[in-house]
Amino acid sequence: MPVFIPLALFVFYPLFRTVFISFFEWNLVNPKREFIGFDNYLEIIKTPDFVTMLLQSLYYMGLALIGNFLLPIGLALLTLQVSSREAEVYQTLLFIPAVIAVSIGTLIWLWFYLPAGGLFNAILGALQLPRPAWLNDPSLALPAVSLVANWKFLGFNYLIALAGLRAIPKEFLEAARVDGASGWNLIYFIILPLFAPSAIFLLVSTLLQSLEQVFVPIEVLTVGGPAGATDNLMYTVYNEGFKFFRAGRAAALSVLLIAAFAALIFWQFRLLEKRVSYER
Amino acid sequence: MNARNMARVTLIFATALLLLPLVYQVGLSFKSPTEFFGNPLSPFPLQPTLEHYQGVLNRLPMGLYLLNSLLFSGAVTLGQIGLAIPAAYAFSHRQFYGQNLLFSLIVLSMMIPFVITYIPNYLTIASWNLLGTLPGMILPFLGSGYSVFLLRQHFRAFPSSILEAAVVDGASSSQVLWRVLVPANMAAIVSLGIYLFIQSWNQLIWPMLIASSPRVYTLTVGVQRFAGGEGGNDWGALMAASVLTNLPTIVLFLLVRKGLLATFTDGAVKG
Repeated sequence: MPVFIPLALFVFYPLFRTVFISFFEWNLVNPKREFIGFDNYLEIIKTPDFVTMLLQSLYYMGLALIGNFLLPIGLALLTLQVSSREAEVYQTLLFIPAVIAVSIGTLIWLWFYLPAGGLFNAILGALQLPRPAWLNDPSLALPAVSLVANWKFLGFNYLIALAGLRAIPKEFLEAARVDGASGWNLIYFIILPLFAPSAIFLLVSTLLQSLEQVFVPIEVLTVGGPAGATDNLMYTVYNEGFKFFRAGRAAALSVLLIAAFAALIFWQFRLLEKRVSYER
Repeated sequence: MNARNMARVTLIFATALLLLPLVYQVGLSFKSPTEFFGNPLSPFPLQPTLEHYQGVLNRLPMGLYLLNSLLFSGAVTLGQIGLAIPAAYAFSHRQFYGQNLLFSLIVLSMMIPFVITYIPNYLTIASWNLLGTLPGMILPFLGSGYSVFLLRQHFRAFPSSILEAAVVDGASSSQVLWRVLVPANMAAIVSLGIYLFIQSWNQLIWPMLIASSPRVYTLTVGVQRFAGGEGGNDWGALMAASVLTNLPTIVLFLLVRKGLLATFTDGAVKG
């Protein structure tokens, strides 16, 4: 199975090499590197920005949960109300942002957010409302960056959610209707419990992908600024490695990232297992 | 208003909102500078102009970027599919020692965030003297757990009895794969291929790290460098370049949308 050659070279070997590099102080270019044990990890934990950066990562995850988990499920539930022909039109159109390049899609948002001459402030100005600095405002920049990623990736999760909802056997729904269930009762007691396994999968993949999905919007819109306000755990790995040339520290951050991801995946399997035993 | 119409109105509103940024992108690319500053709210130009498209085509080697994007995306797509097909066959219709372990590795590889591999992969590509080249861009993307996983889901649905019958009739396992299983799953393979092509077309960070000179820029890298440099304030030109970059993927998607959407939802639901 030749597929394991590139996987071994470019996925698994890098994983081990990252762990190895994390114990060194090294600038990527210099052939000399110094073994420093766990110093990279200790330094990361001691930096006051580290906690802020973690909290910002959680903030991104929370916004993805609203925009790329709850919202697409809500839209998918609404789609069950219309004919499948009509649904096909929404599926196609909502998927279009998902097929364009994130970097290119983000450029128009760069213009939307311009403090002077941008669309949002032109609208607010016409309505005589205060005009914020958007990407230069430390409290607005992060949600503004997140919104771009949520916009770009909503269509994919909507598609998966709709497929999950449609996989619920029709007999269950009809039986419930015969028994007099309708509207919210039908959604709450029949649809959502049967949809739970798909939902758990969607929830975890949304969380896992959220930091990766804002990566390019951060790079195009703010480069992590203002003053680190839009940074997150994944973007920091890239910055440390390719902008500050601190390979050891980038690698140590990668190891922490992998640990966080592993915990999340483990938690997913626990949840799914519990459900299976409950159903039996 | 009944429930169906409420759902319809909400869905239409959400769809319009989601497409609005792209409407502005296309609109601005046809707007003259006077209209751009005089009338920023409307996405539609009153007097459309082609000057931004002409400007971009004169200032940037878009043809070269297009060729690089085609080579990069084409090679990644063909390579990934070519490697994934035999693996998906082995995991779906054959038994061998260590199968479960190897399949766990496939699943594991899907969960490793891309950014973690960048530094080691950059060092590998540098040590092979492939920085600034298309092969350096392509090689790390050839192995994909996702492609193996998705094709396995589709192959598995194909009845084993037919494959066994072919073996009884004297077909070798490679004949079974390429003459029976692959043709039977052609729709899924083509859809996956188109999806992979679009994904690679849209890649930015890795090609940007590797492409040290405009000679090997892909469209996304070229447009990004333009936005970060001389094109930074030239919104009309920037949007014209954006539209040209997005057009191939949107057209490709609209052409094959049914099969494409079905391939993913089947893959997700079949489990």
